[in-house]
Amino acid sequence: MRRFFTCMLSAAALTAGLGLGFQCAPAKAEDRPVQVAGFGAMSGVVRVFGIGSEAAMKAAAEKINAAGGIKLGDGTTGKFEITYYDDRCNAEEGINVVRRIAATDAIIAVGPTCSNVAESLFGILQKKVGDSSDSGLQFPIIADVAAKGGLASISEWAFRNVPNEAEMYKALFEWVKKEYPDLKTFYGGFEKDFAHSNATYGVMKREAEANGYQLVGESEWLLNDTTFSNQVRDMRRANADIVAVSAHPFTTCGVLREMSRQGVKPKLLIGLTSSSSIETVKGCGQQAEGLIIPTGFAPVNPEAIEAAEAIVAKGGNADLHSAAAYEIMFILKDVIEQQGIIGKPETLEEDRKKMREGLAALKETKGLLGPVARTPDREAVKPFVFVQAKNNNWEVRHNPGS
Amino acid sequence: MDFYYGLIQIIGIHTLLGLSAYCVLLTGQVSLAQAGFFAIGAYAAGMLTAMAGWSIIPALAVGGLLSGAIACAVGFPALRVKGLMLVVATTAFGEAVRLFFFNLNYKINRGELLVGPSGAEGFRQIRYFQENGWSITDVLLFIWAIVVVVMALLWWMDRSRAGAVLRAVGEDELAAQSSGINITAVKVIAMTVGGVIAGVGGGLYAHYTTHIEHVQFGVVLATFAIAYPILGGLSSVFGTLAAVIFIQGFLIEGLRFLGDWRNLLFGALIVLVMNVRPRGLFDARTARMLRRLFVRQEEKRDARTGVA
Amino acid sequence: MDQYFLIDSIQSIADGLLFGATYAMIGLGFTLIFGVMHKINLSYAAASIGGAYASLLILQGAAVPTPLIFLLAALSGGVIGLIVYFACFHFIPLANPLATLMSTVGMLLLIDEVIVHATDGMPLSYPPVLEDGSIFIGPFYFRGDLIVVFLLGCLCMLGLLWLLYRTRLGLATRAVAQQAVAAQLCGIRVTNVNAQVFVITGLLGGIAGAMIGAAVGVLSPLLALPLTVKGLIVTVIGGLGSIPGAIVAGLVVGGFENFFQFLRGVTERDLYVMLLLFAFLVFRPSGLFGSVQMRD
Repeated sequence: MRRFFTCMLSAAALTAGLGLGFQCAPAKAEDRPVQVAGFGAMSGVVRVFGIGSEAAMKAAAEKINAAGGIKLGDGTTGKFEITYYDDRCNAEEGINVVRRIAATDAIIAVGPTCSNVAESLFGILQKKVGDSSDSGLQFPIIADVAAKGGLASISEWAFRNVPNEAEMYKALFEWVKKEYPDLKTFYGGFEKDFAHSNATYGVMKREAEANGYQLVGESEWLLNDTTFSNQVRDMRRANADIVAVSAHPFTTCGVLREMSRQGVKPKLLIGLTSSSSIETVKGCGQQAEGLIIPTGFAPVNPEAIEAAEAIVAKGGNADLHSAAAYEIMFILKDVIEQQGIIGKPETLEEDRKKMREGLAALKETKGLLGPVARTPDREAVKPFVFVQAKNNNWEVRHNPGS
Repeated sequence: MDFYYGLIQIIGIHTLLGLSAYCVLLTGQVSLAQAGFFAIGAYAAGMLTAMAGWSIIPALAVGGLLSGAIACAVGFPALRVKGLMLVVATTAFGEAVRLFFFNLNYKINRGELLVGPSGAEGFRQIRYFQENGWSITDVLLFIWAIVVVVMALLWWMDRSRAGAVLRAVGEDELAAQSSGINITAVKVIAMTVGGVIAGVGGGLYAHYTTHIEHVQFGVVLATFAIAYPILGGLSSVFGTLAAVIFIQGFLIEGLRFLGDWRNLLFGALIVLVMNVRPRGLFDARTARMLRRLFVRQEEKRDARTGVA
Repeated sequence: MDQYFLIDSIQSIADGLLFGATYAMIGLGFTLIFGVMHKINLSYAAASIGGAYASLLILQGAAVPTPLIFLLAALSGGVIGLIVYFACFHFIPLANPLATLMSTVGMLLLIDEVIVHATDGMPLSYPPVLEDGSIFIGPFYFRGDLIVVFLLGCLCMLGLLWLLYRTRLGLATRAVAQQAVAAQLCGIRVTNVNAQVFVITGLLGGIAGAMIGAAVGVLSPLLALPLTVKGLIVTVIGGLGSIPGAIVAGLVVGGFENFFQFLRGVTERDLYVMLLLFAFLVFRPSGLFGSVQMRD
């Protein structure tokens, strides 16, 4: 048994020697670096969103730093320093990454990309602030992309700046009723095994029926399905005026292609917010022609255009997800100044608490498309536009804010 | 320090997953079903603590026993097939388990919340550790107490006749059968033990991540389960531990400074390791060398020349 | 919709059978590697999709006739096949099947990551086999492009059969698979034969990947893993090593899957495919066309 325990000790020593790689913040003489960490998926089918978030955070930080930085609580100027971590859209890694971030001087973490990571992550946070019997992590996190409904309610340390789909689809169907008065029936299709698509379809159905549209049929499929002949056949038979597809680009393209093969041409096509990105027009631009999607970002005003250019310059795509990350940096600047956060390693715990307080107290924040209302359960109600796929590109079809 | 503790916790949980596959691999069966047993343990333990309010140890025990029972049931038909067919059959079983949990929708009211597995959305709020004030160190010691017990049991079994019997079946079934070993019993027992270990590991996993969903328990996790014992070498339980530390500690966390290259290196390094050390990181020769480092008094005489 | 039930059933089965042609194409390569060479190569489906990706990425959007793109996919598949052989099989001693299994897993992860890095994970549009291939006969609808894929699959099957049973390479392959030492004693260079077969299966895989891309319309990293599982299932149901078995099993699995999706919906569909597999494993482990031998 002695050999057994010696082996265990060597293994322990081995582990202690691994898992290194902390970033040390260089101390600047005049400006103080304010560490903000970002994390998200740099791997897998959602890699483009991790890249976008990183680019957006760095672009926004650069703009803020260039415009004079942040006014810290003790009078010094702070400059944002961004570090981005890859969680590979994996819940365990997300937890590890956030624990790693919590061990650095970062005052907040921005992320994740994937809703399943957010579920686990928000679950390990302390549920209610001040609950001493809860040993959860006390570290604020604000999500830029993870869009599944109701996540921020899991913990008081969790915040989100993602679109409120209920509001968007409500407005969409109201607008459709005015813009296309002869349409009466609608048919829905959705990804059953993806929580976000599933939940959003419920929203679409509810809002459509509330506006007097008759549901004539539904089809389901799975996230990586490749054949949709059964579903489109039912769609063809139902012959609805509107077809709503609550799915991500891969299956959305699959369904649209099958529809063109079987000759199904509804009068109006509606899609899922997440599919209003470059993937859909790149994957099936021709079949997606005319698809209308409500989205949280489009370059419709000078500020938005400037942000989009800055994000693209840093190597990301400018879409609703990266725009959310961009907006978050400005929100953080405001909260730091409001709460008088100091940003020194000694005040770290205090700063994090103040960060949380500040974010919780916000009633409204600045968004690229207009003011964003903040709800008591730490979610956001963002302004939106309706975009339509035209000529392998997204064009703004209607801007409710104008 | 919290980060290191968290890393050590996840290494512990993955070690249990690897050990469950190790048990079954010893008898020569490549089983991709361990992720399925892991899932059963996860959901069972999660449901017992989050919905029925049980304490953690009985919940883990029930999760382990349930997985073991199902593993036993799977073990019998698995005997009819060998080699690639077993790989496919166990993959199919693992997928069937995952699809079962995909369809599982059972929620009850606990306080103001609706708690329970809800199909594709998964099962959230498995917060036994946080709600009962367990600190990170408490959870760490708990997980590793279980891991050490399991490793000690397996190590002790390896040194006894049972280990020799298992390996005999793994090396050459015909010879083993000719020696009077009941192949059926040995294989089913190995499968059952593997199922119990995976079930307990799954229960711990559910409480670690606080949210589980069917996607996590797919083919990728099953492949990781057999990757640990194969990469680590089948000659000793420490091989599996070394492989888990290698993959989770070094490849996943240690290489983070490489940024984007980390993901590319992951697959490439596995290929490299298998080419350089086909019998695993911790094969019989390495074990002997390490033993010689720690145990100085035994003088080994070369059998051929008689020289020490 | 009771009046439609019969029509829909036939249509579902027909649709499934036609899409099963893509499974058949992947199954061909799998059964050759697993059944004839007795080597487990889990990276095969990923390599096939990789070949299809390579055909798009090499051309960088240049306007090239579609058959040329498919040819390029096949050639890329062949090159990837050779790389897989050298990385995973050449240097590892034959006595370690677990090590080769694991190294192919590593290769699968590597190919997946290379694809994700090259395309940022976004789906790429792939040219279809036929632009307007839909055929409408009465109340039924058939995908003409999948019929072409099926015919191509049959062509590949005939080509493979000719290769295995009428050429020296085929003879050498079967010899090496049966008894590598004896084959070596007969003067067959084992490494050459293995490398050549991997290249050939790679070519086949590239074509399969291209056909799948054409059938689905987009290439995505999401394709690799489900295809691996389907390929394994098709190989087992068709019978390890049986080339006509792979084609038939591919069609059967496709038809069965779609029919059960029509009957029981999308959430239970895969469970039924698993049940089909279990039924085969229990009642007919040698598959549809496999020879009755219990050794793997």
